[in-house]
Amino acid sequence: MERTKMTKMVVTIALAVGLTAGGVARADKWSEKYPIKKDIPGPASYEATSQKDYKGRTLNILTHAIPVMGEPTALHAKQFEELTGAKVKVVHVPFGDLFQKAMIPFQTGQAAYDVMFYASLWIGDFNAYLAPVPQKYVDMPQMQEVTRNYKDVATWEGKMIQFPVDGDRHYLKYRSDVINNPELRAKYKEKTGKELRVPQTWKEYDEIGRFFNDWDWDGDGEKNYGSAEVVARDNLMFSAIISRVAPYAKHPDVKGGFFFDLDTMEPLVNTPGWVEGVKDFVAAQDYMPPGGNNFGLGDEIFSFGGGQTLFSYSWDDAFVQAMEPKSRIRNLVGAAPLPGAHKVWNRKTGKWDNFDKPNYAPYICWGWTSAVAKASKNKDMAFDYLAFFANQANHPSDLLVGRFGVNPFRTTDFDPKFYIKEAGWAPDVAKTYCATLSGMDKSRNRVFDLRVPGVNQYMSSLATGVSKALAKQLTPQKAMDEVAVEWKAITKRLGVDRVRKAYANVVALEDNLK
Amino acid sequence: MRIIIYKGTKYLVLILWSAFVAGPFLWALSTSFKNDAAVVSGATYIPFVDFEPSLEGWRILFSADTEGVNIAGPYISSLIVTVVSSLVSLALGTLAAYGLSRFTFRAGPLGNKDIAFFFISQRIITPVVLAIPYFLLLKTFQLLDTHIGLILIYIAMLLPIVVWVMVDFFNNISTELDEAALVDGCTPLGAFYKIILPECTPGLVVTGLLCFIFAWNDFFFAFTLTFVDTQLLPVSIVALNSSKVPWWSLSSSSLVAIVPLVFLAIWLERYLTRGALLGALK
Amino acid sequence: MLESRYKYLFLLPGLFTLLAIIIFPLVFTFRLSFSSWDVVAPALDFIGFDNYVRVFHDMRFWESLATLGTVVLSVVSIEYIIGFGLALTLWQDIEKSRFFRVLFIIPMMSTPVIISVVWRTMFHESLGPINDLLAMLNLPTVPWLSKPTSALIAVMIVDVWQWTSFVFILLLAGLLSLPHEPYEAAAMDGANHFQTFWHVTFPMMAPISIGILIIRIIEASKIMETVYVLTSGGPGTSTETSAYYIFIRSLREFQIGYSSAMSIIYLLMMIVALTLIARGLTRVLVGKGG
Repeated sequence: MERTKMTKMVVTIALAVGLTAGGVARADKWSEKYPIKKDIPGPASYEATSQKDYKGRTLNILTHAIPVMGEPTALHAKQFEELTGAKVKVVHVPFGDLFQKAMIPFQTGQAAYDVMFYASLWIGDFNAYLAPVPQKYVDMPQMQEVTRNYKDVATWEGKMIQFPVDGDRHYLKYRSDVINNPELRAKYKEKTGKELRVPQTWKEYDEIGRFFNDWDWDGDGEKNYGSAEVVARDNLMFSAIISRVAPYAKHPDVKGGFFFDLDTMEPLVNTPGWVEGVKDFVAAQDYMPPGGNNFGLGDEIFSFGGGQTLFSYSWDDAFVQAMEPKSRIRNLVGAAPLPGAHKVWNRKTGKWDNFDKPNYAPYICWGWTSAVAKASKNKDMAFDYLAFFANQANHPSDLLVGRFGVNPFRTTDFDPKFYIKEAGWAPDVAKTYCATLSGMDKSRNRVFDLRVPGVNQYMSSLATGVSKALAKQLTPQKAMDEVAVEWKAITKRLGVDRVRKAYANVVALEDNLK
Repeated sequence: MRIIIYKGTKYLVLILWSAFVAGPFLWALSTSFKNDAAVVSGATYIPFVDFEPSLEGWRILFSADTEGVNIAGPYISSLIVTVVSSLVSLALGTLAAYGLSRFTFRAGPLGNKDIAFFFISQRIITPVVLAIPYFLLLKTFQLLDTHIGLILIYIAMLLPIVVWVMVDFFNNISTELDEAALVDGCTPLGAFYKIILPECTPGLVVTGLLCFIFAWNDFFFAFTLTFVDTQLLPVSIVALNSSKVPWWSLSSSSLVAIVPLVFLAIWLERYLTRGALLGALK
Repeated sequence: MLESRYKYLFLLPGLFTLLAIIIFPLVFTFRLSFSSWDVVAPALDFIGFDNYVRVFHDMRFWESLATLGTVVLSVVSIEYIIGFGLALTLWQDIEKSRFFRVLFIIPMMSTPVIISVVWRTMFHESLGPINDLLAMLNLPTVPWLSKPTSALIAVMIVDVWQWTSFVFILLLAGLLSLPHEPYEAAAMDGANHFQTFWHVTFPMMAPISIGILIIRIIEASKIMETVYVLTSGGPGTSTETSAYYIFIRSLREFQIGYSSAMSIIYLLMMIVALTLIARGLTRVLVGKGG
């Protein structure tokens, strides 16, 4: 080639490379500074957020204790500060005190926090104090990706008033190194004549849990036990009992309510379906570890996540703990839908219906959500913060940090390849996990929480009654009868119409009317 | 022989109780160096021998980033609120207690004993129901989320104890001392300040310590009456109590929180001596 | 008693300060008890004595009072006996006793909210040291928090651990404030340790003992955080004390009106009980010997 032509070509190539490199570098400038893979363009991306100028303004955020939800809140708050110039103050509160911390300012008319992170089932009590999510945020691509379940959870009377930032559910967790272990399978077959498998019903859970209780089956020198559950009364036990009751009491063909009969507002908590679940729970104490009937969520996490028990069910935390890099049972766990039931109570006929194929009723259990206070003078900043928190760059990155407590809730979150590649999960683990979680979304027989005003009163009463049954102070039927009586009183006190109106929304979701 | 049994029992009791007292702190110390692995397999005790120690539980208390909390600021806030409320309560309380001990007050059928009981009865009502009333009180004066607001609440919390305890200590001192002082030309306030108060040193010291302890360790009011600007130590520590209870950081914080009080106790203990003037009159 | 026209200057600053701060909250709480302020309706309506009637029918409240009574009477007695014993061993040998004195007051200096969690980890039946050590010594392990009786004992252990210091230090200060003469007289009479204690020390310490017992009863009755962290009032409702039950109703369920009524009833009952106890103690402790 001629010299000049060669030079021209080299220069052109150099320019091209340089421009491209510059272009690529500009796209990555956020991922260099922040713990994300790369900034995904969108209305709440790093780039877009950095264009906003909130200098001189303060945002007050109430969130959960560090690290579950508390740490990502603080992390994204700090990032938001850097990007927009705003001052962001974050307050961390343990779960047990979170309701009161938010409610007292609400009830006394004190504008304390702009953004709150809290348990999504308090929507019945909080909704009057929350600002609806403006349409432009609902229309964002990141919001469109939110699955049906979690959009439903964020909605009240047709409007989105909670901002989805996380998705929770209850599911069954098991030790795959036991269920798949040939020796143990042989032992189990020998003793019971049945195949060892992931339990399909709570009765099977009981049978298998009992067999694997009180001996060392994983060879670490410590005894193992059957099941770690959340049993401590005013901890979160009310959710554990709903998981156990759901398949017995949520009949796929009987509409009109799970906690109440929507028409009459009669509590259903002492119907045979519910009582059956409570009976299972009482019996489960036989195969819990020492102290197991006083386990709170933290103890359950240590127990199953530390390798003590064969089973657990409830939120993601124990699973995440088990999958921690240094955990001794990493990649030795699996996920499955909550056990079902072969018999379901039919309250219309007053009889048990038999299901050859077990009835499953996934419990779309409450989890973390966020919202903006109606009284906030910084709603624009608040929503921008939340959108930034959950933007398409931050969310996958948060998903990978187990202790953050951010769990899948977008359609893009259920690809096993993500967990295999980014988190180093074994393929089976990733596959069972994603299949279980996405399956819950597709179910037509879902159970939601009692998302009505006064939910804490109902749940506290429920937990106390179940606790009395557990302690054998009362029989399960008597205990639940007591609960039903108290529920009637609560409904009367709060106003039947008010509660019914709110409960109708929940039933509409469960009956798939929307 | 009897003396040996007596002394022996004495020391046995002291050793046993010391072990009981120290036990939880030693456990907290050991646990503060643990992490997940050291906790989930069962109880472990000695670092390096039973488990691999980690500084996680300590680091997280002084972290500069979002992984933990930084208790330095709350430490200072607690210090300010505790010292001010304790000193004010001590001052007002001992004056009131002296008055109740020395003079007669009448309010209809109610006398000194009733007034003293009125003071201590303020401690009966469970704090939880006072959440909203106190909240509204501070809201009215725009003292929510401020140090001053908390100081006022703590004064109301501590005054009853000061009065109730100091009345008993003042009653233990014969009024002849006061009368002697008055005869010598002291004003009642002078008699109180120069003569009686020094005689009450043990009582005063203990009461002061109690004030400090109750104010420093309060969680409920510090939690309910603040938002984002004022954070006291117990509230900042509890901010770490998430879904998975962090055994290590709560253990380390239990030790860190107690340090100033221990120093205070060591310093004040030397004043727990018998009064010099007692018995000088008889 | 003395007389002085300055006497009000002593009492009133403290009294007025206290009244200024607490008068509104007390009156408001009283007013709340006649309203139906709830989680859905934060309003000061007037419903007369409905809340109070409801409290009278609330078996859970009365059971919680019974549980409370058991706990308080047990722990306060134990704390008094141990505290007095410790104070007696340490009030005269100043030198050697310094270490023990300081050590023994440290438990009450721990933050209840945090130390309860430490105790929870200690009582943990799978991962905690107490059962572990019992097993090591070949003793039977105790279902500390999973059975009603042992759970109640666990709660009491924590209270005794923490608050014996309180009784100890006040009794110590009290002992140090005693005059010398009676002891000199007793020594001259050839009294031994026990006789000196029973006829000299104990009667002189009676007034301050009563004061300490009253205050300990009041404080112990408010036991809440320990129950919350250790057992959540369980198993069942076996460790549910009144303060904990009121906490659930007021700040978990937000039945503000109802829980205010409960506290007022609790307050009135405590005042009556304390007055009777004080009178009884005075007769027993002061009326004897000396």
